[in-house]
Amino acid sequence: MGLPRVFRTTPFRLTLLFLALFAAAAAAFLAYVYIATAGEVTLRAEARVTREMSVLEGIQRSGGIVALNQAVIERSSGDRPMVYLLMKPNGETISGSIGKSPIEKFSGERRWTTFTLTNPGPDGAMVRQPARGLQETLPDGHRLFVGADVGELEFYVSKILRALWGAGALMILLGLAGGLMVSRDVSRNTAALTHVIDRARGGDLHVRARVRGSGDEYDELAIGLNDMLDRLERSVGGLRHAGDAIAHDLRSPLTRLRARLEAAAIDAEAGRTDAKAALHQALEDADGVLRTFAAVLAIARLEAAGDAPSQTVFDPADLAASIAELYEPLCEDKGLDFEIQASPDLRLKGNREFIAQALANILDNAVKYTPSGGAIMLRVRRRSSGDVEISVTDTGPGIPPDDRTRVLDRFVRLENSRNEPGAGLGLSLVAAVARAHGGRLDLDEGPGTVDGGGPGLRVALVLPSAS
Amino acid sequence: MRLLIVEDDLEASRAMVTGLSEHSHACVTAADGLAGLEAARADQFDVMIVDRMMPRMDGLTMVETLRRDGDRTPVLFLSALGEINDRVAGLNAGGDDYLVKPYALAELLARVEALARRREMGSVQTVLKVGDLEMDLIAREVRRAGVEIDLQPREFQLLEFLMRHGGQSVTRTMLLEKVWDYHFDPQTNVIDVHISRLRSKIDKGFDRAMLQTVRGAGYRLEA
Repeated sequence: MGLPRVFRTTPFRLTLLFLALFAAAAAAFLAYVYIATAGEVTLRAEARVTREMSVLEGIQRSGGIVALNQAVIERSSGDRPMVYLLMKPNGETISGSIGKSPIEKFSGERRWTTFTLTNPGPDGAMVRQPARGLQETLPDGHRLFVGADVGELEFYVSKILRALWGAGALMILLGLAGGLMVSRDVSRNTAALTHVIDRARGGDLHVRARVRGSGDEYDELAIGLNDMLDRLERSVGGLRHAGDAIAHDLRSPLTRLRARLEAAAIDAEAGRTDAKAALHQALEDADGVLRTFAAVLAIARLEAAGDAPSQTVFDPADLAASIAELYEPLCEDKGLDFEIQASPDLRLKGNREFIAQALANILDNAVKYTPSGGAIMLRVRRRSSGDVEISVTDTGPGIPPDDRTRVLDRFVRLENSRNEPGAGLGLSLVAAVARAHGGRLDLDEGPGTVDGGGPGLRVALVLPSAS
Repeated sequence: MRLLIVEDDLEASRAMVTGLSEHSHACVTAADGLAGLEAARADQFDVMIVDRMMPRMDGLTMVETLRRDGDRTPVLFLSALGEINDRVAGLNAGGDDYLVKPYALAELLARVEALARRREMGSVQTVLKVGDLEMDLIAREVRRAGVEIDLQPREFQLLEFLMRHGGQSVTRTMLLEKVWDYHFDPQTNVIDVHISRLRSKIDKGFDRAMLQTVRGAGYRLEA
């Protein structure tokens, strides 16, 4: 379109629309005023004519035609704004201020007419004015015509017209100026938002719209847009991070597998080892990689999803009892005292499978690191904050305070756990599950040194309650 | 057994045929859903192994179509999609089991044989028998050579699953899925401990151990 942007905005179009509507309303108003004024002025002229006519009839009744003629001559020569004409019964002029009646075919009946009067205007020039006149037959047969101009009508209407034109011009001027201003304001505000959207579409998700703090609809729009961009950025960032993490997490075990296969190939060729044993070893390594892959994928998906999928409401005590039932024999075999304490009537909303896996991972660790003769306690309770806490406390070596946040990172395994199997992803998956449910994972000191064991560890999954 | 393998990854398909033929199963392959549909309609199979994502017609549509036609052949879905929703979609489409890629051949074999067995037995059995081991599902009693064995509820479920698949290998993952209804692999040997408890109850005092460990696969209950 060839028009400048400011003329294409919605507010400018609305301005034009309202101007048009106002013009139509003004025209209708003018028409009404004209009709009403014209009617009024005509009525007043007719009233004057009727009054004058009855005065003259009174003169004729009391003084006869001579007195009437006298009165007509007097009135015609005076400075009265009315016209008079006295005629013989055959229509011939006797006296008056006009030479001839505007009514050409007179039947003798009383009759009104509209005619044009030419008078000298205030500046001396002759002006033609509309006038109303009345002609009657007097009782003695003479005819009398009285007329009055309705020139005031023109005066009124032109005054109103002038006022309307002035007001209209002013309104159009102010309206256009206002429209342009509003339109420019809107353009400027939307341009800022459009710019942000364009940049975001171009791939720059850091860009944010400016919120001026005025609380108007542009601010609301900007806040909404920023919120949307925040979410988009987090989600895209999560995906990117997940991709990077998978690449990183799988590269080292795959490199290890490849190195081992290469060494085995060299050894087998030289006849030093049996190829079959090397293949079995490779299979075991591959299984390890697959387990790592499954764990990494689970963490990545949880982190990318934001909220855990397929959430249901369930009793955490049931879940804890079911997982406890799974792990209890294992503890007994290892010579660990296992106990479960679960408060009834708690409600959790979440992905039961994920939370079960998180709990299984915590118990896996507890069983793995607690030496024989120790104890493990699984506990489900409501915290004073209202959150649901599922905790596992053991009497193992514990984790030094400085390392507690570090163990939640992927693949971090503390020095003293090098000889235990596992990929080191257990607790980071638990932490990811906690985050995906709007909760957190707390690591604390256990019950203190028990029977020569370590200070122990308390791992607590704190999740918001559903009730 | 006659197996139909519907898988568009020809390398994976070939590996499956190699592994399954090794255990004397006859395999027919199809490279997409439409070909699979034709093959399934043309012949009778004991189990169908169907990949979910394939060109021309995906696995879900193929199985749904077969089920509408009244074909009740057990179906094992293979998929790279392992979320619970994906499993549910697979089972809703008429699949009988769901195996997430990548998988071990032993896992595939055990599940295929379990599906075939389930079909043979039907579901209205009240007494299970493997060798001299007897399980009464109504009275919830287990006897070996006439001697009653006292089992915990979970041990009973575990043994029931093993007996229903007597003589077949079942994997730890299968047990965790079918007996405990969990779809993750624990890092520790939790299942082994449950099995060894069960073993001590059913094999103790008898000269022949029925509950065998199958290296690299899982367990098998031998008659």
